[in-house]
Amino acid sequence: MTSTAPRQSSAARVSRRTEVLEARPVNLDGFVEEWPEKGLVAMESDFDPTPSVRVEDGRIVELDGKERADFDFMDTFIANHAIDVASAERCTAIPSVEIARLLIDPRATRDDVLAVTRGLTPAKVLDVVKLMNVVEIMQGMQKMRARRTPANQAHSTSARDNPIQVAADAAEGALRGFAELETTLGVVRYAPLVAIALQVGGQVGRGGVLTQCALEEATELELGMRGITAYAETISVYGTESVFIDGDDTPWSKAFLASAYASRGIKMRFTSGTGSEVQMGNAEGKSMLYLEIRCILMAKGAGVQGLQNGSISCIGVPGAVPGGLRAVAAENLVASMVDLECASGNDQSFSHSSMRRTARAIPQLFPGTDFVCSGYSAVPNPDNMFAGSNFDTEDYDDWNTIQRDFQVDGGLRHVREAEILQARNKAARVLQALFRHLDLPAITDDEVEAATYAHSSNDYPLRDVLADLKGAQAVMDRGITGLDLVRGLEAAGFHDVAENLLMVLRQRVSGDLLQTSAILTPDFVPLSAINDPNDYAGPGTGYRLEGERWEELKKLRHVTSATNPETEVG
Amino acid sequence: MTALTRDDYPLSINRPDLLHTPTGKPITALTMDAVVSGELSAEDLRISSETLLLQAEIADASGRPQLAGNFRRAAEMTAIPDAEVLAMYNALRPRASTGEALAELADRLETTYSAPVCAALVREAAEVYGRRDLLARPTGDDD
Repeated sequence: MTSTAPRQSSAARVSRRTEVLEARPVNLDGFVEEWPEKGLVAMESDFDPTPSVRVEDGRIVELDGKERADFDFMDTFIANHAIDVASAERCTAIPSVEIARLLIDPRATRDDVLAVTRGLTPAKVLDVVKLMNVVEIMQGMQKMRARRTPANQAHSTSARDNPIQVAADAAEGALRGFAELETTLGVVRYAPLVAIALQVGGQVGRGGVLTQCALEEATELELGMRGITAYAETISVYGTESVFIDGDDTPWSKAFLASAYASRGIKMRFTSGTGSEVQMGNAEGKSMLYLEIRCILMAKGAGVQGLQNGSISCIGVPGAVPGGLRAVAAENLVASMVDLECASGNDQSFSHSSMRRTARAIPQLFPGTDFVCSGYSAVPNPDNMFAGSNFDTEDYDDWNTIQRDFQVDGGLRHVREAEILQARNKAARVLQALFRHLDLPAITDDEVEAATYAHSSNDYPLRDVLADLKGAQAVMDRGITGLDLVRGLEAAGFHDVAENLLMVLRQRVSGDLLQTSAILTPDFVPLSAINDPNDYAGPGTGYRLEGERWEELKKLRHVTSATNPETEVG
Repeated sequence: MTALTRDDYPLSINRPDLLHTPTGKPITALTMDAVVSGELSAEDLRISSETLLLQAEIADASGRPQLAGNFRRAAEMTAIPDAEVLAMYNALRPRASTGEALAELADRLETTYSAPVCAALVREAAEVYGRRDLLARPTGDDD
């Protein structure tokens, strides 16, 4: 549902101004009243529990007003695994206002806050963040983000599942600065070819970019195990027992899956978000943020290093209720304040209004998060197979300008046309050579040329889909692995790309990317919350956009020269 | 050997001497020459249980006990073949297994794969599933 007919009775005359306002894009968005009984409320509900915790014999026996005998499986999992039993009673007894102040007090370090949050119950966490307005939430995020250096993640998909498009757009996205690239499919059977294209294209754009392919759990894990993808993210968890079961999982199955990924050296994060429970029809009368806090603590208890949250694909739900986007900002903060990597949403189109789209990202972009978008569309939105992102390729120059205006690092940069064309062309040629080497469906020179200059999937020659699907099946049947890709790239004469991919594959042997908030720098140095911890301690400290990186972000497509106003620099 | 600290991270740069593949090769042996000559197999690009235990030490030293626990379960799982890992995951889905089947799974983890931490997770799941009506009904049950 995208539009509502303006309610104009034929009789009543309206002003010209009303006509103008009615025509504004924001009035195509959907807004609803709160309905707390059904959980259609952001973060202020009389039906949410009151914080409490009681420990007996080293075990939590009461949680947020419930006795252990009455725990559902979320309560049980959180009580058994997420909350530090030794400090739970002491921490939960601290007045919420004191904890909220700690979050924004620059004299309290991130570790000082973690010493308190590790012992908090879900209702207590809610009680704390409810006290914070959106600016305070952003201040908290600035300090609590796990990795000191912010980063960004892109979607690279194709409406035709065209692997050449995915490779070229992955290369351009990597060059523009995305640290992670994610793909998914229209036709799922295309997955092996598209995942290979993403991996190869990414390594052409910038060595060390990490890639993933969002699929159902078992296939996603298999591609990861083979080394065709480098990480996984779409492992969904939910805040009520009933919805979790509808998703055919439990906290224990998901915890087991988390370990399965780690056992293959593959980085992984869970996914959750406000609004998912009410959208799936069983919020059990609790606020969206309370349920999301249960998800966050469940993820913490499972020992997964991070979480993608910020409503994600359900953003239309919190986006429709009062204070909804404040709650979304708060859920990102909660993930960070319990020491999880946070890939902070901004990855789903939710508004017709450019002003709303931009405002929605401010609480993540300005303080910085581990990944400001957990899917900025590095393809035009009609090609986005995640149903469209909050930002796409048409917003690149706007994004770069906002970074420059406010001196904030949103993970991207302006890149000159010649460099982009070179990377896109090379990505297509590399994929062409690799497919030839692996005896996969041919890529023509016309397709390479198209990829170099294309904007969307419409700009490419049509592929023989049946032949591609056979090729995709062959990748699975022949057991092609990441190592085969390295060998093929080397044999095809693309030594630099082969080397980049081998370096990424080597990382799974070291396990360094399994630590919280880990990414790879262009020099293949793992950068995580351990060797790049957020050390924010007030003005003049923490991550500052300065030096070489700031010079880079001063560049835009058109900047007038100071010495010769007739020319542009860059 | 003393326990690792945050300063040892990243191991791939600061402590490559500690890193080996499950096949016993040092991480420094994972070179392009070795790839091209066919010396390396996909098995050489997997993480070893020893490495996961080292990363668990670092996670503990960084104040992340749950993450360390995940790495310890993962270390145990390195011995389990891919297909069986997936089958075990599926067995833990809601109403996929009887209490007896989960008890057998836990025993198998413990005895066949020396995986006591994973076994404990499965036993805990079985207990909760029993209480929350998430076990499968035994087949051939006549009552």
